[in-house]
Amino acid sequence: MSRPELTGHASNFYNEREARKYNSSSRMINVQREITLRAIELLLLPPDEASLVLDIGCGSGLSGEVLEEHGHVWVGCDVSRDMLQVAHERMEKSYKMKGDDDKTEAEIARMKYDDDDDSDDDDNNVCSTGDLMHHDMGTGLPFRPATFDACVSISALQWLCYSNSSAQIPKRRLIRFFSSLYSILKKSARAAVLISECATAVGFGGGIVVDYPNSAKAKKHYLVLSCDRVGGRGQVPGMTAAGAVADQKQSQVQVGKQRQEKDGRKARPIRKKKGVKTKEWIVHKKETQRKKGKEVRPDTKYTARRRPRKF
Amino acid sequence: MRLLTHNFLQSNVRGTVDGYPLKIEGTNIVVENSSMDSNLVRKVLPKLNYPALVAAINDIRNEEGEEDNNNNISESVLKALHFFLFDVHVIEGCLICPGTDRRFPIKDGIPNMILHEDEV
Repeated sequence: MSRPELTGHASNFYNEREARKYNSSSRMINVQREITLRAIELLLLPPDEASLVLDIGCGSGLSGEVLEEHGHVWVGCDVSRDMLQVAHERMEKSYKMKGDDDKTEAEIARMKYDDDDDSDDDDNNVCSTGDLMHHDMGTGLPFRPATFDACVSISALQWLCYSNSSAQIPKRRLIRFFSSLYSILKKSARAAVLISECATAVGFGGGIVVDYPNSAKAKKHYLVLSCDRVGGRGQVPGMTAAGAVADQKQSQVQVGKQRQEKDGRKARPIRKKKGVKTKEWIVHKKETQRKKGKEVRPDTKYTARRRPRKF
Repeated sequence: MRLLTHNFLQSNVRGTVDGYPLKIEGTNIVVENSSMDSNLVRKVLPKLNYPALVAAINDIRNEEGEEDNNNNISESVLKALHFFLFDVHVIEGCLICPGTDRRFPIKDGIPNMILHEDEV
């Protein structure tokens, strides 16, 4: 399945089975890690300082884990409850493990020195710095304005381009998403996400960064948005990786066009189903109905013949 | 769900004029100790909505807490703030939109903020 977006809603695709699979695939973990690391690099966060980062489409918390390693506090939201459940379990596990480790350390420390208890309590253990939320990004982000220092979204935004019910209008959902994103980010915050006409319409500045543009497989598109409209921090960090050429375009790209670019090939035109209502098909259908024991008119020379044109 | 997250959460159900702060109706609240980082708390401080935090703490305690606006922030205040912001987790319960009384259930510490397309 090359495009799971076409099969239905994200929460249906990422069911319990898929969530476990996702989380146990080492390839997936590595890819997610790599992309998140690059996204963090693109965010230009102040070094050695904890920032509050929003992770949209956090899934099983793989990207959150990387954020945690960088010492950031993150809030993740995802539309799939099963993915969140996996994330929750993992965080719980790491909390318990770390808690046990630190306890023994604290005990050792207590045995060695007779220190006061207060300090022990202080650095007792390291709990996961993430927090989870079940939410659909297409309905707008439910946060107070100007709260987050940055935002990452790793392979999630493509879901917004598809509608799974008649009530969902992709363009409206995209606008809603980006306008709420614009309001909740702090001034001069950055968002590294993967789409863009709507983004500039609500006031973001920024462009697309393409890593490995000449490789079909490793090619990755990052949409870097910044809240300061003047674009003060315009430079793109880290053209360090071998062969990585960052190519910054101004974001006047249309959503449809972008999709083509992301695939690296043209989107296939929707083809009409072949062979419906031909004589062959009708005869076959009658045959199967007959086998089911249903009453079917006998095959004659008039079967599947076109009616004469009316005047 | 931490109170820090709660402090940022806002309901945007259609028809709400001010969906903030969300009322907490906690049935299971857990305290998990975490390492204190005063720099982190200091960083978060300007973004906090203090009345909302006080309201949240009151919701959890079900009693009146003392309200004090300290301008000079001492280490002990930071410590207390850290405790409430990072260590108190609402595991089971409900968030209630103050404008429309729409309820957002919390399960396993994950609030369900999903809105239907016609609610936006």
